[in-house]
Amino acid sequence: MSENNKLARYAAIFEDIKAGEIMSSNVVEISADKKIAHAKELMKIKKISGMPVVDEKKQLIGIISIEDIIHAFEFNKINDPIHRIMSTQVVTIHKDDSLADVVDKFENYKYGRFPVVDDDKRVCGIISKEDILHGILEKFNLIYIHDQKRTSTLNTEYSAITGEKLKVEEAEFHYQIDSSDIDAAGTGAAMLKQFLTGKNFHSDIVRRVGVATYEAETNVVIHSRGQGDIYFYQHEDRFIVRVVDNGIGIEDLDKAMKEGYSTAPDYIRERGFGAGMGIANMKRFADKLVIISEKKVGTQVEMIFYLPTQTWPLI
Amino acid sequence: MIKVRDIVALLEAEVLSGESKLDEEVKSVGASDMISDILALTQPGMMVLTGYTYPQVIRTALVTDLLGLIVVRGKNIAPETIAYARENNFLLLRTRSYLYSSCGKIYATGLRGSDVGK
Repeated sequence: MSENNKLARYAAIFEDIKAGEIMSSNVVEISADKKIAHAKELMKIKKISGMPVVDEKKQLIGIISIEDIIHAFEFNKINDPIHRIMSTQVVTIHKDDSLADVVDKFENYKYGRFPVVDDDKRVCGIISKEDILHGILEKFNLIYIHDQKRTSTLNTEYSAITGEKLKVEEAEFHYQIDSSDIDAAGTGAAMLKQFLTGKNFHSDIVRRVGVATYEAETNVVIHSRGQGDIYFYQHEDRFIVRVVDNGIGIEDLDKAMKEGYSTAPDYIRERGFGAGMGIANMKRFADKLVIISEKKVGTQVEMIFYLPTQTWPLI
Repeated sequence: MIKVRDIVALLEAEVLSGESKLDEEVKSVGASDMISDILALTQPGMMVLTGYTYPQVIRTALVTDLLGLIVVRGKNIAPETIAYARENNFLLLRTRSYLYSSCGKIYATGLRGSDVGK
């Protein structure tokens, strides 16, 4: 499945997201009467490959790209005003456009990003494919299946949800999952729960962490055919749990997400597992959940649990 | 208010572990043999009827803050399961009554499941 098809599939699920919610709003724009050389400098400093061009009323009238600048160099026009060489056929997105509209733009045009405008045609942001993914992850408990091109996301030290650094050696709790012993499944989650209970956190969040981690851990034991680890981090207002494995990955995410669907073999079911509720339970108990999985590379589950405000220490 | 000891009497159950909890209040009751269901559906203060006796069930129950488990149909329970429950002072009962009958008897006392009152 191509990246665009995948986006189209998700667009239907996340119809109510507006372009304005997912765009990057710190967009660099330039006036049409400035010199091309000026645009070149700005793009170099900001490390960008194109910029929206605006008139004196700040309305969008064009776009200038690196190609346009190369062209200007070739014909010795680098000191001409921008409006002479910019493209005026600009495809824009309105800030109230739905995610589906945004995805359509990526489907129908070959551009990597689109300027976002308001009712007065003023530029208020810019959207790239990355923004779409980040927007969705920010807003929802999304499960995101990985594709080959983005291998950098799996097993990195950065949170897939918040982008903050999560160093393995800085985890406050670590448990190495023994995938060979089905009877030991859940031991890590039980230990993590005990660890948190000992620190006097609110019993509700401790229970939620316990259950969601239990499901993630048993998934590693039952399905991954690989080795796994549980890492726990406490940041000011939240707990972050990461369960990673180097196993076979999730074959069909749509099915895996469906309640009651399970690929567990009979001997596993006899032991009370394989109800097909694993991912559903993780979603139910975590505040945010991202599952990144790639065939033959592994699966990474990241969950965030927000601490209830009343447990903050009174100063 | 229904206490654990009322359930013990009602089902003529053996107390295999967690004797100190006999006077605790039972807030709701459920029944399942699937671990994920137990994880999903239980609430703190709940007792769960099950036919599932692997040690895993105790670990599951501890993770979910379950009040206790009632093993039905007088099933054999692995010594490891009982030992694990005792180690954690976890309430573990066993009754000869079958799952359906056990549920019926408890339901008749007025206790409800986690789907009622939501």
